[in-house]
Amino acid sequence: MSGPLIVQSDKTLLLEIDHDQADACRRAIAPFAELERAPEHVHTYRLTPLGLWNARAAGHDAEQVVDVLLEYSRYPVPHALLVDVAETMARYGRLQLVQDPVHGLVLHALDPAVLAEVTRSKRTAGLLGARLDATDVVVHPSERGHLKQVLLKLGWPAEDLAGYVDGEAHPISLETDGWAMRPYQEQAVEGFWHGGSGVVVLPCGAGKTIVGAGAMAKSSTTTLILVTNTVSARQWRDELVRRTSLTEEEIGEYSGARKEIRPVTIATYQVLTTKRKGVYSHLELLDARDWGLVLYDEVHLLPAPIFRMTADLQARRRLGLTATLVREDGREDEVFSLIGPKRFDAPWKDIEAQGYIAPAECIEVRLTLPDADRMAYATAEPEEKYRLAATASGKNRVVERLVAQHEGEPTLVIGQYLDQLHELAEHIGADLITGETTVRERQRLFDAFRSGEISKLVVSKVANFSIDLPEASVAIQVSGSFGSRQEEAQRLGRIMRPKASGRTAHFYTVVARDTVDQEFAAHRQRFLAEQGYAYTIKDAEDLGVA
Amino acid sequence: MPTFTAFLRSSSDEQLAGLLTRRPDLASPFPGNLTSLAVRATGRASLERALAGVDAVVVQVLEAVAALGGAARPAIQDAVAGGPHDEVARATDEALALALLHPDDEGALTLAPGVAELLGAHPAGLALEVTGPADPTALPSDDDPLAAPARAVLDALTWGPPVGLAPAPGSPAGDAVAMLVARRLLVRGAGRHVLLPASVALVLRGGRTHRGVATPPDLTQVPHRSAATVAAESASAGERCVRLVVRLLRAWEQGPPGVLRAGGLAVRELRRTAQTLEVDEREAAFVVELASAAGLLAVDDDEPAVFAPTTETDAWSALDLPQRWVTLASAWLATTRTPWLVGSRDERGSLIAALDPELSRPWAPRLRRSVLGVLAREPGGAPAADDVVAALEWSTPRTVPPRGAVDAVLAEATTLGVLGAGALSDAARVLLEPASHAATPADARPDAAAAFAAGLSPEVGDLLLQGDLTGIVPGRPSAALESLLERAAVVESRGGAVTVRFTPDSVRRALDDGLTADELVERLTTFARGGLPQALDYLVRDAARRHGRLRAGAASSYLRADDPALLAGLADDPRFADLGLLQLAPTVLAAQASTHELVEALRAHGLAPVAETPDGQVLHLERTVRRARRRGARRTASPVVTRTTDAAALVRRLRSSDQRRTAEVPDDGDPPSRTPGGPPAAGTDDPAAALALLREAATARENVWVELVGPSGRPERRLLRPLRVEGGRLRAADPVRESELTVAVHRIGAVRRAADDEPDQDQDQEVT
Repeated sequence: MSGPLIVQSDKTLLLEIDHDQADACRRAIAPFAELERAPEHVHTYRLTPLGLWNARAAGHDAEQVVDVLLEYSRYPVPHALLVDVAETMARYGRLQLVQDPVHGLVLHALDPAVLAEVTRSKRTAGLLGARLDATDVVVHPSERGHLKQVLLKLGWPAEDLAGYVDGEAHPISLETDGWAMRPYQEQAVEGFWHGGSGVVVLPCGAGKTIVGAGAMAKSSTTTLILVTNTVSARQWRDELVRRTSLTEEEIGEYSGARKEIRPVTIATYQVLTTKRKGVYSHLELLDARDWGLVLYDEVHLLPAPIFRMTADLQARRRLGLTATLVREDGREDEVFSLIGPKRFDAPWKDIEAQGYIAPAECIEVRLTLPDADRMAYATAEPEEKYRLAATASGKNRVVERLVAQHEGEPTLVIGQYLDQLHELAEHIGADLITGETTVRERQRLFDAFRSGEISKLVVSKVANFSIDLPEASVAIQVSGSFGSRQEEAQRLGRIMRPKASGRTAHFYTVVARDTVDQEFAAHRQRFLAEQGYAYTIKDAEDLGVA
Repeated sequence: MPTFTAFLRSSSDEQLAGLLTRRPDLASPFPGNLTSLAVRATGRASLERALAGVDAVVVQVLEAVAALGGAARPAIQDAVAGGPHDEVARATDEALALALLHPDDEGALTLAPGVAELLGAHPAGLALEVTGPADPTALPSDDDPLAAPARAVLDALTWGPPVGLAPAPGSPAGDAVAMLVARRLLVRGAGRHVLLPASVALVLRGGRTHRGVATPPDLTQVPHRSAATVAAESASAGERCVRLVVRLLRAWEQGPPGVLRAGGLAVRELRRTAQTLEVDEREAAFVVELASAAGLLAVDDDEPAVFAPTTETDAWSALDLPQRWVTLASAWLATTRTPWLVGSRDERGSLIAALDPELSRPWAPRLRRSVLGVLAREPGGAPAADDVVAALEWSTPRTVPPRGAVDAVLAEATTLGVLGAGALSDAARVLLEPASHAATPADARPDAAAAFAAGLSPEVGDLLLQGDLTGIVPGRPSAALESLLERAAVVESRGGAVTVRFTPDSVRRALDDGLTADELVERLTTFARGGLPQALDYLVRDAARRHGRLRAGAASSYLRADDPALLAGLADDPRFADLGLLQLAPTVLAAQASTHELVEALRAHGLAPVAETPDGQVLHLERTVRRARRRGARRTASPVVTRTTDAAALVRRLRSSDQRRTAEVPDDGDPPSRTPGGPPAAGTDDPAAALALLREAATARENVWVELVGPSGRPERRLLRPLRVEGGRLRAADPVRESELTVAVHRIGAVRRAADDEPDQDQDQEVT
């Protein structure tokens, strides 16, 4: 037997990780293949046009890709697949966006036939200006982003060589007293800076904020940071103050509550996408300063209007940060064309193995509903079923039992439905944070939790993202947004920051047996299971819950 | 004057055996004697078959001979190649070996009788039917005022076609044509057409009949694949194809689709089958036709008629993968079916259905062999359809298949795994060209199976099970593993490895098949390298827990009552035992008897039931497996192969019967006259020989004495010059009456060569 890789004709690559050459092979295929699943024995990678174009953007060519496949493959590689790889990769960069000294932004074709094809397409109508010659056509500068989107859809992704505006210079440096960037964080910053724009994929808890700070220090310009919510915005601010030379006064918050525009401004997606009388009233923020860098936190959550706005920001450097490029809406291609290609990616388990994120154990606890509840569930309207199952009263006892098992460990109970959360908070005697809780109160509770003053906290989905709870080591989720895979990953991320004691984190999901709750749970778990987190399934009865 | 028959007679045994091997239709059925052989060899059908197989150079040689009216070898080489040329010499030998040419007594070669008619009106673009000067000095000189337009006219016609439309008079070209016609360099044809006589064309061509020797396209320039790639790709395609056939048979044994009145498979059924097989309809049609060609599907005539797997299915299923593939591939090579036409419209505009009996084309096997033959010539080469057509235009210029058919054959061959990465697989090559020790195509099967097996990825009995409920077999699963996975998991991808996912549904399927949770876990554990993940173990046990909580069964009718005591009494009552009553619930009984019987029986015993529905409906959940018997033996349309050994035996028989015959009837002797008192009697009255004589006379443009049987039944003897013998009719010129006549050959009694006995005027008049 030779070669750790099996290349399937459906363009999946199977990497047997116990093989001697597995590590070398993983490094070789990582630039062009998307890691799809990383369970314990065999990792599945997939060759997609986006992945292959990402590789082209990073300077790899088809010959290298083919050589890697042939070198590591155990069996003959399907011929059609090799042909397809070469053809797909050849499509990237045949068109280039370049800055012409006379005509400004120009779409330049290395192959006149391709230019003829795209100029004739209805979809490029209005995006392109005068034809200069057989290989060049003027592009309206405002349509740089739209054009890239359209070209990607047409299968001829353009290489953006038009460069970036420098932006307004503003000195930023990292203050590495008592800490240092981890090697993978440095690689991520380098990868991004070298590529100009793009996305860095790192697991929750692996220090994406540091990568952002590193990129800002590299750029040393005014920076616009877009985040999901206000709490997250405050955490970014605190982290930047702690890690960089920036002071509180240099960092502004642009949210529902405050509208500050400073050299570094942190804005929420929500405020940007708020409409007044049918127009986005806060768009001026984007042009308020000559931003040198735009940073997108949680890129997998970018709402559609932000994509549209981003299309107009193509002349500025853009960095996307995310734990997963999986989007429930399947708009990965827009991330590629508008933010940029993926510049860095590391499997979760790799970073865990390096000790930078805590090892976690995932447990699904199945609760058998009492007959009365089952009857109520069976006869409920379909749209009510999930709610009924997710809020089953039996879950309270399970949570109580689990909290008792982990007595003293910082524990988060996460849920979707407020009634259920109120009840739970009362049941286990813990504080509750929901969307209604004031920001001040939230901060107070988080601080208390962080300092160990309180060890239990019940939170609604407001805690899904970007709340820095360093020492949470147990999370219990009782209900969620149906089958959202990224929510599951985010919630696990809450407990994955490395623990001082190095102990294992526990992630529990409590589900009602034989209901849609169980089905959604199975769907939610797929992403993490594919990342190598094996879920153990336990019966509630085994926990000693009657 | 040697005739074609005499040529055959003077051929050596080896030459005759070679002829019979190359033109197998001459040997079967046994021709009886050499004269009959000559007749058969000059018949239109046989000649067409022979010409269908010759390459472009042979056709050039034949055209040259036709144009020159018989020529010696050097003359042929000069005409075709402009000098001595090995290819032309080879083609000439081949034409002789095929008896398309034969030598006359001056040593020149002439066309076999009947060949000229098949070469078209203008062989090599030469109008042989008109004559003109053959002298270069007759051509317009440079100082001729119309030299330039005349030159243009001649240039246009020189290399054929030799027919042109004369321009209107008055124009320079029109005047030039008039001048050329006046000098007999052009001849007026029908309407405004003018023809360039062959003799003039040959002068203009510098004595050449062709610009040059036809050369085959260079197949070494097409992309080449490594042997390993070809073997692996063809094996994986072949494996997939076999799997599709298995799935088709499995689906159809449980739900056999109906037969359309016209005999095919309904479009809807094809679509459903395509969904079951997860392929497009075109491929589904191919799989269905393939299974049928291999004898695995047939019409079951029980009402209603359906397509069902045959009894051969079971034997085929028991074979190992390579053997199953070989069965399919052999059937495909030999079948006359043309699946790629499914979905197109016939000449009446109706859609052609899969399995439609009309979909047979006798030329289909020949088409496949000729297309694959091109690929076989270049091992590892993966030519595109255009390359194949170009190659066929050289190798069999008279039967070049249309581009669409070539595409279809290549696509089918790819699906079946006869091709791998576009090149011919070793296994297919063995089937196409059996090794010398294989006496029949069937003997080549083990070799082909072995070649196919060599390309398969190694069989693996290992299963890697993972926490995300997926499993991977890092190779080709062993039969036991494959069947376990097929029962208990969903296949996600195939290729070098197989990846599967376990779902509640897939596990339920395994439980439905009668496995218990423990058995399933145990079997998975035997294959699992690294043990069973907890999640999978839980999934199996959870599925088992839920399995069978609902029970379903068949009943013909039911009884319900509000009084449980009443029903309890009925269920236990021995008088109703044959109604098959079963208590389902305190107030419901199910019965196996029909509502009618149930009601009658209850009434007979003094109860007063009321039927709730007019009649009971039989719900039959049991699956029925149907098998149809195939009608007739499998017909293979592969061409009759006459092997050298058989041919030699045939030649011996021919010789002996021919010698007997010559002893009885001296060929050129005077046979007894059949019409007493008449002119010299016929040379032959053997119908076959008579036809041969007529054909030879037609080619040689000789007169023959023909005894015709008139409507009165009285024989009449006439001197005729045969023009053409075809379709059972003789067309001949009567030089005496200066007229033409056409007679059915069955009215010809006897034929005798006129040269043997030149008639005088008196005799001639006597006959008329």
